Amino acid sequence: MVVIRFIAVALAMGLGGTAFSEQADQPTARDLVAAAIDLTRGVSSYTEMSMVIHRPDWQRTSSLRAWTRGREDALIRFTAPAKDAGSATLKTGNKMWTFTPKLNRVIRLPFSMMSQGWAGSDFSYQDLSRTDKLLHQYDLVLIDTQQVDGFTHYTIEATPHENAPVVWGKEEMVIRDDYVLISQTYFDQEMVPLKRLEAVDIGTLGNRVFATRIRMSKLDEPDNWTEISYEKADFDISVDDALFTVFALKTGRAG
Amino acid sequence: MTLPFTLLVQLSWRNLWRHRRRNGMLLAAILVAVGTVVFANAVIRGYQGDMLNDAVNNLAGHVKVLAPGYRADPSIDKSFTIAPDWQPPLDPSLVLGWTSRVRVPAVIMSERETRGVQLVGVDPERETLISFLGEVDIIGGYLEGPADRRVLIGKALAEQLDTRLGRRIVMITQGSDGLNREAGFRIVGLYDGEGTGVEKVFVFTGRETLQALLDTTAITEISVRLIADEYGALAGRQLAASFSDLEVMGWRELQPQIAAMFAFADAAIFIWFTIMMIALGFGLINTLVTAVLERTRELGMLRALGMRPRAVVAQVVIESVLIIGVGLVLGLAVGVWLVSLLDEGIDLGRWAAGVEMFGMRTVLVPRLLVADLVLVAIMTMIFGLIASFYPALRAVRIKPLEAMRR
Repeated sequence: MVVIRFIAVALAMGLGGTAFSEQADQPTARDLVAAAIDLTRGVSSYTEMSMVIHRPDWQRTSSLRAWTRGREDALIRFTAPAKDAGSATLKTGNKMWTFTPKLNRVIRLPFSMMSQGWAGSDFSYQDLSRTDKLLHQYDLVLIDTQQVDGFTHYTIEATPHENAPVVWGKEEMVIRDDYVLISQTYFDQEMVPLKRLEAVDIGTLGNRVFATRIRMSKLDEPDNWTEISYEKADFDISVDDALFTVFALKTGRAG
Repeated sequence: MTLPFTLLVQLSWRNLWRHRRRNGMLLAAILVAVGTVVFANAVIRGYQGDMLNDAVNNLAGHVKVLAPGYRADPSIDKSFTIAPDWQPPLDPSLVLGWTSRVRVPAVIMSERETRGVQLVGVDPERETLISFLGEVDIIGGYLEGPADRRVLIGKALAEQLDTRLGRRIVMITQGSDGLNREAGFRIVGLYDGEGTGVEKVFVFTGRETLQALLDTTAITEISVRLIADEYGALAGRQLAASFSDLEVMGWRELQPQIAAMFAFADAAIFIWFTIMMIALGFGLINTLVTAVLERTRELGMLRALGMRPRAVVAQVVIESVLIIGVGLVLGLAVGVWLVSLLDEGIDLGRWAAGVEMFGMRTVLVPRLLVADLVLVAIMTMIFGLIASFYPALRAVRIKPLEAMRR
């Protein structure tokens, strides 16, 4: 999940600083992406965040809590507004479930819904669930290096393989030398940019430096964006394994 | 006194010519009735033919073999395997073509849109023989073999997805383990299903490609197309005998709605014919009765001279048969001529939207069946005979004495 991935990338930079600072000045594109992902393996986290969904004529703010275990498992629960409180999404491996307290039902997400917006946001379920696809399904090329505010920004072009399950023509990522993902732009097959994920704020939370505010915006529909801000983050905590079960999803237990 | 038959025919023939205008009108009525019946019949048959064609083309075939439960839950779990060299256990001269397919529900995604579709893994070569893929126009290229890794999608679907020939789309479906399988496919071609509704439903790729994606060697259906619909039941029985644990179904069972419409069209032909004949029957009776009443004196005279009642009846019946016969021949000729005028089909393009709603094509080609023509001829003659019964009765009832005193 992007949220998770961001936490992951955040962690990567936290740890990555030590991992790569002594290496060659010019890491390869694959190194940059792989290191970020690999360094987050087995990390657990607890975060509190708020999400703003912005549309041309309205805007909605909700609060959520998320628990992660490793790279694959996550539980996200809405705490506000009251209308949505209790709604939750559980992901284990590549299965996903949602729970709606009003219906008191757990729904295993059918694959047909994977490309739909998660909780009405600009993040799709697929954005949430994708993991290390970037390493296996894309050709990664480092196309640009720039110095910005004392950091090196690496621009990586990711072109999906012929039969990769990816609709995009390409993706372009900007990764800072401390592995903060600065932006990720999705291009259609005519190489027109369609949506972009950006780090709006980069700060320190839970003793780690990471993108504390991220925004996903649709470039062909201006004024449509979703922003997630991290308000509290704890890393390397012990998370109860029972949390990542359908039972926990339904009963609303919190770790 | 018995009259030779030829004399009776001669008498009747001359009687007809005595009232040219009246009998001409009757003849015209018969001609129009028979002509329109023939024409309407051909149009309905043409519609029926299209319907049958679409039903069978619609990946149904005349007979289909499915795993039990597939129809209720069409997933890769409900599949079966056949030997690589399997051949349908049917008389090869009855089989136009057959194919095996893997058909699963899937989601197709472009950069901008997502749609639910049926992903069908096919043997492209076999498919052209038995389904609409052999008939439709294709923009771009066709799949090149069961291992082709590209997809053929409908034109309307491409529009919905805002994608184009040569672009890549992503298909997501579910394996038998319940986990998602996804892969990117390049669009090799767009087919034009003429708005038959299939365009937005079926996405085709190579069968082996889809099997590989789903981690299986199984297929979900065998579809057999026969040289004619009549052999469906026989083929069904023979297939069922060799696949005892699978479901063998004809297109009528698979698409009951179309089967019902098909039967309705049959009934419509009959109803139309009956209405025309009843209307015509009254005209015929009226004319014949008038002819008889006009000749009361004459018939009375003939009776007095010794003509048998049987001969009087024969005379009226022959008159009826003659006029009906001539009308029938001319009517059939006019009907056939009308149909031949529309050999190219009736262009319903102006009402395309409405027509497509009924699943019809925009060009309707009337179809003449010899059996239908024979049936119309026989039925018309029978109606003619029945209609002449009452006038003949009136003629026989004429009493010679009373008639001659008038």
